[in-house]
Amino acid sequence: MTVKILYLYADFMNLYGDNGNVRIMQRRLEDQGFNVVIENSTVYDDDIDFDADFVYMGSGYESNRNLALAHLSRFKGSLLRAVVNGVPMLFTGNSYDLLGKGITTADGTFLEGLGIFNYSFKEQLEKRYTGDVVLEEVATKDRFVGFVNRAGIPDSTEDMCCDAIKVIGNVPITKDAARVHNLLGISLIGPVLLKNPNLAEFFVSAICNRKGIEYKEIFYPRSTRSHEKTLKALLETDAGKKAR
Amino acid sequence: MKIRAFTALVVCKAVRGLAKLFGRGSSLPGKYALKICPDILAHLELPELSIAVTGSNGKTSSVEMIAHVLQNNGYKVAYNKEGSNQIEGVVTFLLGASNMKGKVLSDIVLLEADERYARHTFKYFHPKYLVINNLYRDQMTRNGHPEWIKSIIGQAIYDDMTLILNADDPLVASFGKDREGTIYFGARILPGDKLRNEGVYDDGKYCPICKKPMKYEYYHYNHIGKFKCLHCGFSRPKIDHALTETKDENGKASITIDDKYEISVFFTGIYHCYNILAAFTAATAIGIEPEKVASSLSGYVLKSGRISDFTLGKTQGRLLLSKHENSVSYDRSIDVVVGDSRKKSVMIIVDAISRKYYTSDSSWLWDINFEKLKETEIDKIFLVGQYCDDLAVRFDLAGIDQDKVQVYETVQEAADNCNNLDSYLYVITCFSDKEKILSIVTRRELT
Repeated sequence: MTVKILYLYADFMNLYGDNGNVRIMQRRLEDQGFNVVIENSTVYDDDIDFDADFVYMGSGYESNRNLALAHLSRFKGSLLRAVVNGVPMLFTGNSYDLLGKGITTADGTFLEGLGIFNYSFKEQLEKRYTGDVVLEEVATKDRFVGFVNRAGIPDSTEDMCCDAIKVIGNVPITKDAARVHNLLGISLIGPVLLKNPNLAEFFVSAICNRKGIEYKEIFYPRSTRSHEKTLKALLETDAGKKAR
Repeated sequence: MKIRAFTALVVCKAVRGLAKLFGRGSSLPGKYALKICPDILAHLELPELSIAVTGSNGKTSSVEMIAHVLQNNGYKVAYNKEGSNQIEGVVTFLLGASNMKGKVLSDIVLLEADERYARHTFKYFHPKYLVINNLYRDQMTRNGHPEWIKSIIGQAIYDDMTLILNADDPLVASFGKDREGTIYFGARILPGDKLRNEGVYDDGKYCPICKKPMKYEYYHYNHIGKFKCLHCGFSRPKIDHALTETKDENGKASITIDDKYEISVFFTGIYHCYNILAAFTAATAIGIEPEKVASSLSGYVLKSGRISDFTLGKTQGRLLLSKHENSVSYDRSIDVVVGDSRKKSVMIIVDAISRKYYTSDSSWLWDINFEKLKETEIDKIFLVGQYCDDLAVRFDLAGIDQDKVQVYETVQEAADNCNNLDSYLYVITCFSDKEKILSIVTRRELT
C-alpha cells in the first residue's frame, strides 16, 4: 500500500535540517510495510494537492515564510478540509506561526494567518530568540525536547497546549505548540521526530489507523536514547549559566 | 583625549598587562574599558588605512594572510591575532596597540570582525575596506540564519567604506548591488566544479533580491558559483580578481590568480583558495603590487591551520578540523575523504557542540551531505560522542552500509577500537572536541 507525504515548500522552508522529519517518517512508514511517495511543493506551484497521508512544513527565513503564507492562504479551504478529515500534519519552527491568527512582522505589518488556532506572533529583527527548551503538554504530560530559533514571540498564547518547563538561552516563552485533530504545530526546529519518538509514533499510528492497517509497535532505541539523553541534559543544565 | 576615555585606556592596558603576566589572553580588558567609556573606539586616533574582514568562514585565515602580506611588504600592522573578534576583543587589541594619547601606532589596522558584532564596532570607526568572504548556515544557535546575518552586517556598512566581496556567493554579492566602487573576487570555472548543487539543501536556489528561481552555470561548492536570477537579472558581478587555476601535481600544489600570479600552496582545497584570493584582493586594493602580494603568499603556511596528522597505534590518520553547526565546513571535509583513493576509514566526533556555550541542537547534522560518502569505498565508520545516537540515525537514513558503522559514546572507546587499522583514518570534528582525540594520538609533522 502506498502512502503520500506532502512536503510543503521543501526547498524554501528547510532551514535547520528540517528534511530529517520527512526522512524519519519515510523510514518508519516503510517499516510498517508502506510504499512511501514524497511530493514536494513550491511557492510557484499553481495548486497544492492535500490528498496526502502526511503533511509536513519546516522553518525558513522570515521573508520565505511570508511568501509561503501568502501562497498557502490561496489553498486554505483545501488545507482546512484535510485538517478536519484528520490528515496527520506537522508544522515545525516558524511555519507553526502561520497556523494562528496572524503575524505582526518587524516593520509593523500584520499578516493574516490561516486561522486554525487563535494564537498570534509579533516579530522583530534586531535579535534572535534562540535556545534549548523542554515543553510539557498540559493534557498528557508528554515532554518534547529541542531547539527554538525564531524572530517572534507570541503576543497571544491562546490554544497553545504545552508549557515551556525549561528554557536555556534567550527564548522568552512560557507556552508553545498547538494540536487539533491530527495536526500539530510546534516551535521546535529541525528533526523534531528524531529527538521526540513519541511524536513520530503518534503520526505513524494515525496514518496506519486512517489506512485501516494495524500499527506495528517498533522500538527505535537510538531515537529513544537521543530523547532521554537530551531531556536529562536539559533538565540538569543551569539555565542561566551558559547563555548564547 | 577626554578623562573618561583616558581612564578606560589606562585600565585596559593595566588589565591586559596583568592578563599577559598570567599567560592569559582575553577580551576582558576591553570589557572593562567599554564599561568606563562605551564609545572608547570613537576617541582613538586610527591610521588612515584599515581593513576589516567578516563573514561566516575563513575570517581568521584571511586576516592572518593579509597581515603576513602587509608585514612582508614593510607595513606595521595592528591586528587581533588572538581572534577575539567581538567588540570587547577589538577594543582590547586596539587600545593595546595605542599610545597613552590613544593613537594607534601602526600603519594599518586589520580587524577580524564577528558578523553579529560588526554593527556595534563600526558605529565608532569605519574601516576603509570591508572584506566579506561568505555567508553560510553557521552556528545558527547564535546566528539565526544567513539572511538575518546579512541584515545585521548591513547595519555595519557605511557609504565611506569600500566593500571587497565574494562575487560567487549571491547573498554576499548582493551587498554590492547599486554600490559604486565595490571590488569583487571570485573563481572561474575549475576542474572540481559541478553543474548541479550537490548539497542536502540549496541556499542558492532562489534569488536573494526577488526570491524567484536562480540558475547556475556552475557550482564551486554548495551555493558558491556563477549564478543568475532568471527574473530580476541579479547575477554574479564582474570579477576584479579571479582564481583562474588550481594545480596539484606530484606533491606540488599551486593556484593562479588573474591568469598570471602563481602562488604555491600547501593544499588546493577550494575553501583555502577563497581565503587566499580574499587576502590577495585586499592587499592589492591598498596598493601593494600584485607580484609582491603573490610572492608573499606563496608557500605561506597558516598558523591557524586546520589539519593535523597523527599515529594511533598502528593506524595512520589525519584530523580535518571542521566546525560543528556548519554543514558547509563538514561538506568540504567529506570532499577530502571522497577525493582520497586510498583505503580509508572515517571517524566523526560530536561530543560538545560548542566550546563557548551549551546547546543540544544537532539539527545541522541533517544539512551535511553524508550521503556523499557512498561515492567512495570506506573501510569503517566510527560515530562518536554524546551525540552518537543522533549521528547513527543520520547515517542510517543516509543509506550508508550499517555493517561498516561502529558507534561509541566516548572518544577513548572509539580510539581503543581503531588503533590497529590497515586503512587510513580521517577524523572529522570541531575545535570543541579536537583535544579529546589529539590528547590520545601521537601527532606527526604534516607531510
